[in-house]
Amino acid sequence: MSVAELKERHIAATATVNSLRERLKQKQQLLVDTDVAAYGRSQGRSAISFVSTDLVCCRTLQGHTGKVYSLDWTPEKNRIVSASQDGRLIVWNALTSQKTHAIKLQCPWVVTCAFAPNGQSVACGGLNSACSIFNLNSQVDRDGNIPVSQILTGHKGYVYSCQYVPDQETRLITSSGDQTCILWDVTTGQRISVFGGEFPSGHTADVLSVSINSSNSNMFVSGSCDTTARLWDTRIASRAVRTYHGHQGEVNTVKLFPDGQRFGTGSNDSTCRLYDMRTGHQLQVYSQQHDGDDNDIPTVTSIAFSISGRLLFAGYSSGACYVWDTLLAEVILNLGELQNSHEGCISCLGLSSDGSALCTGSWDKKLKIWAFGGQRRVI
Amino acid sequence: MISMLYFVVESMGSFCSRQQPLNEVDSDENKQAAKIDSRIAEETKAEQHIHKLLLLGAGESGKSTIFKQIRLLFQTGFDEAELRSYTSVIHANVYQTIKILYDGAKELAENEPNSLKYVVRADNKEIGEKLSEIGSRMDSPCLTKEIAKEIVTLWNDTAIQETYSHGNILQVPDCAQYFMENLERFSEVNYIPTKEDVLHARVRTTGVVEIQFSPVGESRKSGEVYRLYDVGGQRNERRKWIHLFEGVTSVIFCAAISEYDQMLFEDDTKNRMMETKELFEWVLKQSCFEKSSFMLFLNKFDIFEKKVHRVPLNVCEWFKDYQPMGSGKQEVEHAYEFVKKKFEELYFQNSKPDCVDRAFKIYRTTALDQKLVKKTFKLVDETLRRRNLIEAGLL
Repeated sequence: MSVAELKERHIAATATVNSLRERLKQKQQLLVDTDVAAYGRSQGRSAISFVSTDLVCCRTLQGHTGKVYSLDWTPEKNRIVSASQDGRLIVWNALTSQKTHAIKLQCPWVVTCAFAPNGQSVACGGLNSACSIFNLNSQVDRDGNIPVSQILTGHKGYVYSCQYVPDQETRLITSSGDQTCILWDVTTGQRISVFGGEFPSGHTADVLSVSINSSNSNMFVSGSCDTTARLWDTRIASRAVRTYHGHQGEVNTVKLFPDGQRFGTGSNDSTCRLYDMRTGHQLQVYSQQHDGDDNDIPTVTSIAFSISGRLLFAGYSSGACYVWDTLLAEVILNLGELQNSHEGCISCLGLSSDGSALCTGSWDKKLKIWAFGGQRRVI
Repeated sequence: MISMLYFVVESMGSFCSRQQPLNEVDSDENKQAAKIDSRIAEETKAEQHIHKLLLLGAGESGKSTIFKQIRLLFQTGFDEAELRSYTSVIHANVYQTIKILYDGAKELAENEPNSLKYVVRADNKEIGEKLSEIGSRMDSPCLTKEIAKEIVTLWNDTAIQETYSHGNILQVPDCAQYFMENLERFSEVNYIPTKEDVLHARVRTTGVVEIQFSPVGESRKSGEVYRLYDVGGQRNERRKWIHLFEGVTSVIFCAAISEYDQMLFEDDTKNRMMETKELFEWVLKQSCFEKSSFMLFLNKFDIFEKKVHRVPLNVCEWFKDYQPMGSGKQEVEHAYEFVKKKFEELYFQNSKPDCVDRAFKIYRTTALDQKLVKKTFKLVDETLRRRNLIEAGLL
């Protein structure tokens, strides 16, 4: 068969797949009879009401000399690791706001960091297309820096996010600009599995985010520039379990819902969405009217759910940080309008393991910790 | 449908309530934190005077070659171990080149109207198939004298020569001729690549590479320290990481002006010059570069000046209003000035009013020409130093 004929067959096949996809989408739309908020209202529920003293900024972590790109909490002790454009990782004691470690990276272009489950190591990744691991107990070198313990190389594009597999110090998942996710064995530095890439059901554009299911760590969700989120089973790397459509823009962030049956996403289309993992349905869209011109709609950069899932925290490029009532799809507070809030794009956020505090990181070079105050109890 | 669990955690938030007064805080922790703070301050101060330069440009625009030249000019260059490390790269480049030519000849023979001239001689076909197979492997074998002879034979086949001269629609690398002409030397048993060979060697840049250097003036060091970054030209989503480079002193944008009749490696339906135009426009619009100087390197001039006579500029959509003037050197200058003007217009169309102060200079370069790169860089250095003084209020 000649090259021209092959090309034609390829075009025809692509058209067939696209039309099938459209029909599937339409069928799915027909099956959706309601969304979470409509159902909630029909059950007589009303939104939680928050006043500005219910969630207050009680710590500001200063020290980075560049934009903060990523943060992660330790699973038990209250420490946070943050990564910044200044080429450093800083580990903070969240209670005292003191720095306990600062690591100057060989390649300063870092965009993601993560704490190991035992809190003894941190991982980071960025433009060097690799994920570097540092053991915080290592002897520091002459310049006061911690030497790198392991470098995970193999990606063919920038590493945009990384997460340790919960309860497994030795496994880590990264997502990359090379359109794949990789599961690594940290001790040997070897790739265990590659998700996507050559295989047809992988992402078709840069993968920006991963979230591992803590109820079942064999499953994880990824979000990509191709506007979809995909569910993967680490035991079957050859194809994605399911693909979730709906967003009109790239999916910057994905987060598993606390019960492990659903997950949330945040996108350049300025909305967050809640998906049902099993059926693939889009359960709810969280979207707010924004003022300002159409060219500058704020993007959702990061999200997190509260312990029960009743609250959805979403950080935006405009500096807004909405607290959504997940059930009724209403914004009940905007941290960006409170006293002491950030002065720039919110690039990352995360909830402490006991759910009592939220940390936000921003391009204003600072991190802030917000806690439930007054009569408000943690939900 | 969904039942939401709404459970309340009994313990109060551990943060707001536990405001520990400073004198109760662990003093060891305090000392450690203070040490860290002073280290950060020292490191930041030490880096303040370093000018960061970012190399941008489409794939194969010559960024990596400029990068290598800067190493050769202002650093200690390549030591023997590093030169040796390029042997396998150059051998691989040779196999890749001949494969592209042989496969290309086959494709042209199938699709072009005048197809007979692309048909390789019968007794060269076997060599061609063998070389094509080798070229597709991940790890190429060493280049032996025997294989080199076979490659020369194939290279001299008129069909291959014909393919080479119509190389624009294929992905024939610009230095194909250089590789073919030096085959005998490359296949020597003790071959160690020369600096020139290294400059021609082609490896796709992955990740980020950087070098720090201080350009030497005529009689003494100018004192300025530069750090040059090359981020590679792949077509992944630049907008996801470009803002990491906010505040660089200068963007050095490389545009290979000889590519106006060639297609992209990543997408052979897209014209390379159009891709460069779009990329340049995009870079200009990025708010993170509002304060950065722009140095535009119109690169591969040596290839441009030869091509202009054979292939009219207006095969590229952006240059469709080009009117040739004459011939010979005058025509080359005329064509170059036309292209330069196009880039200038593009620059001004895409720079916001508040970027008016931004320095913008265009340089005609041939990245493989060391003298020219050195001269160009001197000019860049002068511009940036001048800029520095202006900003400090001293000029």
